[in-house]
Amino acid sequence: MTDEKNTGQEGERFTGHGPEWKDSELSPHEARAATAWVEQRIDRRSMLTNKDRVEDVRDIMWQLEKDGEIAVHRLTDGHKPVTVKTLYGWDKRIPTTRLWHHKSCGQCGNIPGYPVSLLWLQNQLGTEYLDETDQTSCTAWNYHGSGIGNLESLAAVFLRNFHQAYVSGRAQGFDDGHFYPLVHCGTSFGNYKEVRSYLLQSAKLRESVKKILGKLGRLVDGKLLIPEEVVHYSEWAHVMRHEIANHQVIDASKIRATIHPACHVYKMVPEDAIYDDDILDGNRVAVSTGLIEALGAQVIDYNTWYDCCGFGFRHIISEREFTRSFAIDRKIKVAVEEANADVMVGHDTGCITTLDKNQWIGKAEGKHFELPILADVQFAALVCGAHPYKIVQTHWHASPVETLMEKLGIGWETKKQEFEAYLKEVEQGKQDQLYDPRLMVTSGPGFKAIERSR
Amino acid sequence: MGHAAAGTRVQDYIGDPVSEAPPLPREKLEEIFQDIQQDLRFDHELNGCLNCGICTATCPAAHYYDFSPREIVQLLWTENLEGIYDAMQEKIWSCAQCYTCAARCPFDNSPGGLIMLMREVAIKHGMQSAKDVLRPFSRVMLKLISTGNQLSPDMIRPDHFADWGPEISKVDAPLKLLRKAIPMATLNTTDTAWEVNLKTSIELYTIWEMTGVLDQLETIDENLFDVITDIMDEKREDWEDFLEEQDED
Repeated sequence: MTDEKNTGQEGERFTGHGPEWKDSELSPHEARAATAWVEQRIDRRSMLTNKDRVEDVRDIMWQLEKDGEIAVHRLTDGHKPVTVKTLYGWDKRIPTTRLWHHKSCGQCGNIPGYPVSLLWLQNQLGTEYLDETDQTSCTAWNYHGSGIGNLESLAAVFLRNFHQAYVSGRAQGFDDGHFYPLVHCGTSFGNYKEVRSYLLQSAKLRESVKKILGKLGRLVDGKLLIPEEVVHYSEWAHVMRHEIANHQVIDASKIRATIHPACHVYKMVPEDAIYDDDILDGNRVAVSTGLIEALGAQVIDYNTWYDCCGFGFRHIISEREFTRSFAIDRKIKVAVEEANADVMVGHDTGCITTLDKNQWIGKAEGKHFELPILADVQFAALVCGAHPYKIVQTHWHASPVETLMEKLGIGWETKKQEFEAYLKEVEQGKQDQLYDPRLMVTSGPGFKAIERSR
Repeated sequence: MGHAAAGTRVQDYIGDPVSEAPPLPREKLEEIFQDIQQDLRFDHELNGCLNCGICTATCPAAHYYDFSPREIVQLLWTENLEGIYDAMQEKIWSCAQCYTCAARCPFDNSPGGLIMLMREVAIKHGMQSAKDVLRPFSRVMLKLISTGNQLSPDMIRPDHFADWGPEISKVDAPLKLLRKAIPMATLNTTDTAWEVNLKTSIELYTIWEMTGVLDQLETIDENLFDVITDIMDEKREDWEDFLEEQDED
């Protein structure tokens, strides 16, 4: 550091450190060593520093339920929950069946093979689920991008969607609470957990949204309904990874996979993210890595694993030069050059979109990288024998998923021809579905009751 | 800015010395800060700051923009009203909302969370910066507020995303056919990501109204507000028609 750089006006230092401040006169190497700690990655150890100051909001939840203030959508034996450990060693229960699919607008709109692969895997495993039309997106993508929305609106949308999950079984003659919400989007997952925390901590917020939910007819015994756990699909895939691997038909051991952990999955409410001592020594969020390892692929570390993808919510739409620069320079380039990766696997909507779509443009700057991008459940479905186009819907991906399929020994050209032939059948009115489509409407226009509970 | 009281060296520096914008009355600056501070999340997101800079060291936006989460936290922590107002003109819109800063802060601050409070207040006060920044976002807001879905298949068009390359779809077929070939019945749509129940949309509109979201929208973009409220009226009429049909049955 030189005086010139720190001089605001002639002869005047302006450092903000006060008159006692003196240059350290460190060499560049010494300066680097002295400050490298600030670039430390967001691993488990770095986040444990706050442990003593973080409360488990579920303790407040149980107390409020006891006080008669709220109702809790509880996990029951019928949901066959599996217990896992989170960042601070707390228990979290993950339901494995009777799941209400809370879809992601970005996945359904742009990467349909993402939810289809999940439902296809659940069909292979005999998981009971409901995919219905009575749900909105969490609205948090818009909120984080634009600032339109507020805590109250986010909370009301959260409670409305989760109340619908609670009562959705009625259409089939099931008791309330039969289905448990499984959140597909990482941003929804982070947002809902953050909002749940504020709802539990603020009587004022509960009071204001209770008026809204009351007007919508979405209270339970006159009370707000709070879910016992907010569960992300990647957590379901994580606890089911060995069962999924039992259905594997394609060897993945030659595949070098890099993992992109999603910020809103593990940074937004860190205390609720799953860590497992057997997965990367328990020093990284366990979801996706655990699944890909269980499927026998090689998970390869890379320098910038903790960086975000560059999505930015607003940026991917209106500041794309930031998004693509960050995606290429901090993620794709590193995964290709350092990890020699065959694929990058993620577990969130925005990340998959960003990393998948922002490679081609790199050619404009001589950055010619080609790295297949898939969600963890898409990779799992592929190696479990799902059709690459009909189920995994790889044709919506801009990245070269074909090179990954070739390494896995999947004849994608033949499969693509099969899909094109299937499209002709669809044109004629044929449609294969993963579930009985009559179940998707649970009330309102188009609803017809189908009794399934007996 | 840049018109702080004479003799206060720091304020002279923090303000923009070349801006020709007239100085804002102190009462207005205080009102803006109070709106930020009165959000119930404020104390949760701001606990103190020693200027360690960990947040900025790991911030993606700091790589590319004149933006530092440390600076944002410092401005709020020291209640630097002019600095806060300045930051709301552009810097707060740089943040990518990844919350890496929050995960790393030794004080358990959430600079990303504080940014959201500032963005909300920028909208509440109808700041030109918010209007400018959000103009390209209007299609998204139209879709979300009127349908409950943020993104729909028909928004992903090659002419809108030329930088995504020629392979937005690797199978050459009409969008409608490709959507019908998705084996999830809820996804056989083109103008919403999934089929949304009419009742759901009506409930969502009540939420928008009761939480002041429509007011926010009107402040930022009156034309968009008009378009959206027209759509809402139409859907409400459809819902009323449905209810009447039920009564008749």
